[in-house]
Order: sequence, then structure tokens, then C-alpha cells
Amino acid sequence: MTWSELLQEIASTAISVGLAVGPLALLFLVFQVFVLRLPVPEVARVLTGGLLATAGLFLFLLGVGIGFLPFGQVVGESVTELPQTWMVIPLGALLGFVTSWGEPSVRVLAGQVEDASAGSIRSSLVLWTVCGGVAVAVSVGMARIEHGTNLLWLVVPGYLLVMVMMAFADRRFLGIAIDAGGVATGPLANTFLLALALGAASALDPGDPLVSGLGLVALIALAPVLSVTVLGVVVRVMERKGASLR
Amino acid sequence: MRSLLRQQLPEVLQGVVPLAAVAIVLQVLFVRAPADVFLRFLGGSVLAVVGLVLLFAGVELGVLPMGRYVGAALPRARSLALAVGVVFAFGFATTVAEPDVLVLAGEVAAMPDSPFSAPVLVATMGLGVGVFTAIALLRVVRGVSMVLLLAAAYGLMIVLAFATSADFVPLAFDAGSVTTGVLTAPVVLALARGFTSVLGERDAVTDSFGFLGLASTGPILVVLLLGLVA
Repeated sequence: MTWSELLQEIASTAISVGLAVGPLALLFLVFQVFVLRLPVPEVARVLTGGLLATAGLFLFLLGVGIGFLPFGQVVGESVTELPQTWMVIPLGALLGFVTSWGEPSVRVLAGQVEDASAGSIRSSLVLWTVCGGVAVAVSVGMARIEHGTNLLWLVVPGYLLVMVMMAFADRRFLGIAIDAGGVATGPLANTFLLALALGAASALDPGDPLVSGLGLVALIALAPVLSVTVLGVVVRVMERKGASLR
Repeated sequence: MRSLLRQQLPEVLQGVVPLAAVAIVLQVLFVRAPADVFLRFLGGSVLAVVGLVLLFAGVELGVLPMGRYVGAALPRARSLALAVGVVFAFGFATTVAEPDVLVLAGEVAAMPDSPFSAPVLVATMGLGVGVFTAIALLRVVRGVSMVLLLAAAYGLMIVLAFATSADFVPLAFDAGSVTTGVLTAPVVLALARGFTSVLGERDAVTDSFGFLGLASTGPILVVLLLGLVA
């Protein structure tokens, strides 16, 4: 990576962060002036926090851009070095798990669930369920790339399954489930795992790497919805049996 | 402030170290990436750790309270129209500014038989997110069952996925992940949490979640519909 490439990366990251933060800050200020009218120290706290978060987001995305993206691609391309092709499946599961384990929004969601449920649903339970879901999604995604399966044949039965399971799940988990699908597709998944899928697709599949590589994000968005809904079913069954989850 | 930063470090390390450790093991076992790519990965990990410490501290200090203040002010304003308008604005404004949305819109606009230009697509996806965030709010106010709403949204999605032009399907499902920018997610989660916290004795868990998820079904449906029209 040359200096000019690094500078370009820094500039494009700064622009994306600015674009993401700008409207939020503007909306808050408009709301503050017309509706909220919070005392000055509170506004100062919110703005300081916002500034810290912005700086943090910039550094995080820069690190992901210069480091995770190229390495993910190399990992994906080297799957052909594996002694057996089936090994892409456990490899995908492992990488899927550790990636969503590090995904910031997944942790925020888990914390909010513990907060909203006054501690009765532990944040670690949500974290493990989401990461488990993503692990399955990535291993299925890697198998799909290897076999060239049509995305519809995985996504449609997946959503149908969610619809069926919803009827049997504890209602409290449904909102969490669909939110989990949203947070799992964060910046790490969108760079590291996507690069991995594109690399694997170009190494394994003679077809269009874009078509076979891109579907992974759809699977990552679906799997935690399914796994948290399953958790909702388990919780309901356990509560019926009178056992406490804690 | 220093204690707030120090507090975040263990959690951030807990999050990033497993990924870095797996990457290092893979590098040794079979990946053998060129040295500069591997060194950049290590450097990137350090940057990511520093960035996440700041991000989490900022989310704790400012972003979550902001979402909560705004969310809690909505029911107090005693105007459903205002509440709906505000969440619509949040959904729309954060989506049209999301870099991933711009990239995706560019891809859809570049499809061979796509009659849509990128700005039109960005605005439509923003509308999709805004409308579905507003629907999520109305759901909580009116007490509509999540099962019903999700069944309708997913049912429509499945029907459209078969009816629409096949090229649009992967793009549509990718569009579902675009509403989840790292900053948007905590803001929307806290907004929902603040909104439901002042509603009284209703179940906080059932009501607080689903905003972000419903918001992300918006652009999926919109892109599928565009494929139908194209």
C-alpha cells in the first residue's frame, strides 16, 4: 500500500463517516431547539459522546478498510489450499462466529436487551445466539458457493421457517430476532466476510464471483433472525415446563 | 471520561481478540498471506481496537442518551403525527446518507434493463426505511401484534421474490442490510427504547425491539417492487 493509497483510504473513510453522522447531528439539534430543550450540560454531554463516537467510528472503519478487507480476500482465495474441500464449512462457521462476536452493533443490541428486560434476558445469551446463527449462515454460504446453489432456495425456505416458528416462540423474542438480523450485517461482516466470500467464489466457482459471493450477506441477515426465534421457542417450552432460564 | 474509556477496553478486547487470534492461526496454518497484507491486518486490528473503545464510550456517553431523550419526548408531545414524522425523518435521513446505500443504488442503476437512476433509487430506499420505521412506531402505539406484521412483511417478500426479475433478488436482500450503519443501529435501538420506556406498564422487551428489523425489510420490498416494474 503506497502513501497515496493510504491517504485515499483515509479521505474516503472520513467522507463516509461525515455523511453518516451529519444528518443525525442535524436532526438532534433541530429536535433540541424545537422540542427537547435539554439543559446545556446534557447537550454538551450528548455532543461530546457524539464526537467521541464519530472519531471512534472513523478509526474503526479505517482499520477495517486497510487491514480486514485485503486479508479476508486472501483467506477466501486460499480455501483451495485446504486439504479437503468440505473443510470450508467448519472454517466458515469459525470465521462467522468470531466476526459477529467482534461486531459492535451486536453488542449494543445485546446490552439493550438486558437493559429492557431488567436483566431477565442476559446479554451474553443474545450474543451467543446471534453469533451461533451467523456461524451457521457463513458455513451454509460457503457450501452454497462450492455447490452453486440458487440463493432463493435457501432464503425463501429460511423466511418461511421463521414464519412458522414465530407462532411457537415467546413473543418477546420476535422484535429482538428481526433486529438481530439488522445488527449482524455490520461493518465487519460487510468487509471481512464479504471479502472472504468473494475470494472463495473466485477460487472455487468458475461462474460469476459477484453472483455467488454476494448472497452471503442475505444469509447473514437471515440466520440470526432464525436463531433468536428458535431461542424464543426454547424459552417458551422451558417456561411451560416451569424451569427458569436464569 | 478516562474511567469511561478504561471501562470499555476489556469488552473491546474480548470482541476483537478472538477474530485476530483466528486470523493469526489461519495465517500460520495455511493462508500464508504476503507479509505486507498480514502486517496491515495487524495494524488494522490495533486501529479497530482504539476506534471501538472511543466508539463504545461515545455511544454510552452521548448516542444512547440522545436516542433515549428523543424517543421519550415523542409520546409526551401528545401528537401522533409529530412522532410518526420524526421517526420517518430519522429513517429517511440516515438511509440516504449511508455510504452502503449509495454503492448499492449504483449497482442497481447499472443493471442492464434498469430504468432507474441512482438518486431515484436512494430516495426510494430512504422512503422504504422511513415508512417501515413509522410502521414500527404505529405498531407499538396501536398494539398490533409483531407476528401479524412480520407474517405480512415476509409473506409479501416471498411472493415478490418469485414474481420479480431474478437479477434483482440478491440485490434486494443485500438492500436489507444497508439500514444498519454502525451509528444508525444504536440510535434507532435507543430511540425505540426511549419511546417505549415512557409508555407505562406495557412489556418493555416486546415493545422496544423490532424497529431496526422492520426498517430493514423496507428496502428489500422496495427493490423487489422496482424489479417488478423494470
